[in-house]
Amino acid sequence: MSHTTPMVEDGPTGADRLKPFVPYLLVLPGLLFVMGILGYAVVGGIILSLNETDMFMNKTFVGLKNYIDVFADPRFQDAMVRTLNFVVISIVLGIFMSMSFALVLYKVVRGRRFFRGLSLVPYFVSGIATAVMFRFIFTTSGGFVNTVLAQLGLPAQSWLGDPTLAFVVAIMANCWFMVPFASLILLGGLQTIDKDLYDAAAIDGANPIQIFFRITLPLIKPMLGVSLIWVSYISFSTFDIVLALTSGGPLKATELVSIYMYELAFQQLNFGQGAVLMVVLLVFNTVLSLIYIKIFVMGDRRHSEAGK
Amino acid sequence: MRVQESGPMALLFQRLGPKVLIWFTLTFLVIWTATPIIWAILSSFKDPLEIYESKSLLPEVWRLDAYRKVLSMPGFGTWLMNSIIVTVVATIVPLILAILAAYGFARYAFKFRHVLLLLYLIPRIIPRVSLIVPLNDLMSDLGLINTYSVLFITYIASAVPLATWILVGFFGSIPKEIEESATLDGANMWNRLRHVMLPMAWPGVVTAAVLCLREAWNEFSFVLALVNQTDMRTLPYQLYMLKDSMGIQDYAVYNAFTILTVLPLLLVYLLLERKVVDSIVSGAVKS
Repeated sequence: MSHTTPMVEDGPTGADRLKPFVPYLLVLPGLLFVMGILGYAVVGGIILSLNETDMFMNKTFVGLKNYIDVFADPRFQDAMVRTLNFVVISIVLGIFMSMSFALVLYKVVRGRRFFRGLSLVPYFVSGIATAVMFRFIFTTSGGFVNTVLAQLGLPAQSWLGDPTLAFVVAIMANCWFMVPFASLILLGGLQTIDKDLYDAAAIDGANPIQIFFRITLPLIKPMLGVSLIWVSYISFSTFDIVLALTSGGPLKATELVSIYMYELAFQQLNFGQGAVLMVVLLVFNTVLSLIYIKIFVMGDRRHSEAGK
Repeated sequence: MRVQESGPMALLFQRLGPKVLIWFTLTFLVIWTATPIIWAILSSFKDPLEIYESKSLLPEVWRLDAYRKVLSMPGFGTWLMNSIIVTVVATIVPLILAILAAYGFARYAFKFRHVLLLLYLIPRIIPRVSLIVPLNDLMSDLGLINTYSVLFITYIASAVPLATWILVGFFGSIPKEIEESATLDGANMWNRLRHVMLPMAWPGVVTAAVLCLREAWNEFSFVLALVNQTDMRTLPYQLYMLKDSMGIQDYAVYNAFTILTVLPLLLVYLLLERKVVDSIVSGAVKS
């Protein structure tokens, strides 16, 4: 990315007077489009969060009242705690799975292409379809798990009817969807490591666990950062999977901030408070991403350049 | 004091341990990845009552009834067309905008280059679902709810940054000398872009296209927030609505619908799998 000296010539027919504007003419249309929509949505959302709205979307400026109301609302507090639990467990489980998958995809020799290709398939399945598939894995009558249990002569379980189990199933569905991309990123990191390093370490008598923590992990730090950003971004913005899997139930056991936001704005038509939750999601995700970038990518410029 | 383990058992474990672990993980990977999809396929061929009884994994008789029912739903053609129209537009337009922008970033030095590049990255860390509240408000004011336009502009806006970042990497990795020699041969910028850069960065263009296709085909939160008429729904939205619209759930139909919405994109992926996987593994695609 950094090798960018200007192209010297623009061809003999190039209009000289326009030349300084060429890069802007190339770069700005896309950016204006993006900023026009997404930038407006962010700014509009922040303004909206400072207003009280009624059924007809008439707005009155109320300052921070929505924030005070939302933060004092026990339903929001529960949703926030639940979201943090969901995100933390998803990140830990997701990164563990991604790393395991990346390591076997790196090691496997026969059928390598097939396994890699297969591992990415869930990335192309929509969140809604993921949720529906997981519903039918765990649904009480006719679900895969209960059918297997029945074959083994074991009693059926109400997986999605139990608050704790439903929360676990939601995390599993989330991992199914987000792990493939993260594991291919990590696999890319593993492939950049010089194999001689492993041989040298093995000769020095290092065991596989030492090799992993002392050699592999430090060398793929930037890719670990990228996959962490991906995994926490997906977990924070999980919405469609949980909405279609459990709709936030049972007993609100899976009501995340994003689900409550949708409920507040689109069901209760309280757009002002809904916008507060939008700001909360935005701030959390941005702060987390910046922390990752600071720790993993900035701290190790050399490798991120090499990774390009 | 570390006791050195020895004996045939320990040796066997040392030799086979890693192999067993690899095969265990690999088996888990395959089962974990394939089970939800295979179960949906199996269930879609079963009789609805047969599913309820949870008796066997495989269908007693492979029935196509569920697919027939889905295809004869009165709105199915409309939802499919909506999905196709939105996806095509939200793949082609972002790709064009991104190719121009990425060329600008990769080949020119200019004031604010770095800032502008960062501005392209920021939208990727905004949780998209969080935008549905203000977007609904804005688009209602503009009278755009239930139009194709509103889906086009929101889908395009979220796809452009992704495609741009992929292509900046690919364009940047093409040696400048190749383009310079084309310049000496009298090629102007458009010709260089068309005849030098695009062919050379083709895997990147294909990857960017597939990922735009994926985002648009699977998008849900925008269409949920910006559309409320039945005939404006896309396939993922309708799949979600099936939950409420069927009194007694016909699980086979539900599964068949799922398979039909997932299949087109998976076919595209299978066709271009090599380029997409390679691009992601090589680190060219960053979330």
